[in-house]
Amino acid sequence: MTDWLGMLAAPRNPRPDLKGRVLARALAPRRRWGGPLAAAALITLAVGGGAAWWAYRTIGALTTERAVLAARVGALEDTVATFLHGPATRLIQIPVSTGGRVGSVTIFADSARHRWLVRCDGLAPNARDQAYQLWFITERGMSTAAVMPMDEDRPMVMALEMPPGGVLGAAMSIEPRAGSASPSGPMVFHRLL
Amino acid sequence: MTSPKRLSQEHQRSLERRLKAGDERALGELFDVIAPWILGLALHIVHDEDEAEEVVGDVFVQVWRHIKQHDARRGPLVPWILSIARNRSLDALRRRRRWWRKSARLEQAHAVDVAAIPPAPPHEAAVPGWPVHREVHAALATLPEEQRRVVLLSYFEGLSHREIAQRLHQPLGTVKTRLRTAHQRLTESLRHLKDWVE
Repeated sequence: MTDWLGMLAAPRNPRPDLKGRVLARALAPRRRWGGPLAAAALITLAVGGGAAWWAYRTIGALTTERAVLAARVGALEDTVATFLHGPATRLIQIPVSTGGRVGSVTIFADSARHRWLVRCDGLAPNARDQAYQLWFITERGMSTAAVMPMDEDRPMVMALEMPPGGVLGAAMSIEPRAGSASPSGPMVFHRLL
Repeated sequence: MTSPKRLSQEHQRSLERRLKAGDERALGELFDVIAPWILGLALHIVHDEDEAEEVVGDVFVQVWRHIKQHDARRGPLVPWILSIARNRSLDALRRRRRWWRKSARLEQAHAVDVAAIPPAPPHEAAVPGWPVHREVHAALATLPEEQRRVVLLSYFEGLSHREIAQRLHQPLGTVKTRLRTAHQRLTESLRHLKDWVE
């Protein structure tokens, strides 16, 4: 009931223009935030959705890539273990000099399974139109083992099947990017086993 | 006062229904009958004509936008609007940049005001709500001076119990007791009041 206390103050006659001003203000359309808020929400949703879709795609691609790499690493570990622990494995280490630097080519030769595991360390990167090419030396001459374009300075590991009839040695030359049928470029090494 | 309107009880109910229905003309009619009281109340609190008119604008904006929140079962429309006007006035008072400097002047002014708020001059009797105005004054007059003073300081200056105690150099407990007693007596005295009726 004490709200009636407001009636204690004497009434005051408003100035003639006050009614118009007050009503205009009270009846003025309220600023609606619905539209801008909805637009902001849509933009946020779109940006968020896009980001989520991009993240989903990226994560999916990375997951696939990781699975592929993990499979490769697993296979490589398996291969390396097979070579390292194989009773018929020979280790051949060949020092090489390329582009003024010293490196090495290490061959794990498994004569029981007729496979080689070759690791190249410290090879100079190739010119853009060239590649290293590894050769098997056989009784019938040189046969290609692998073409190894090397664009970056990092070790390279590969497993190779030996050709039938046995292998007498290995050689490496610098060839055109696509490889050659027989050695034609500078010889990196030539080694009989 | 320019040809004020009087409201019958039925007219008041109709006015409230129309306001709730969004009838803009009803807001104009409400202004005609209650704006003088809102302006008087605001002016009594803020002591500034322009600021009091701002308060009137604020009150009508709030009434128009929130009229549906008023529940007639919980009390009449006029006290609801007066409470809005009082709160807005006190807000304006507190917002003032030079509040403290002005409050020193207000304190002097209120030293007289709170002692006795005179009723409106007789020629205002044609204003709607005049009987209520007289009844409220009569109810206040029945209170002892010390109770009347704390009620007015609380209502028109929005002072807290502690601030009233400091202003009057009285113990806090005494102020609380006086306010509680005064509110009980006023509630009893004004219980019969409805919205303005002829």
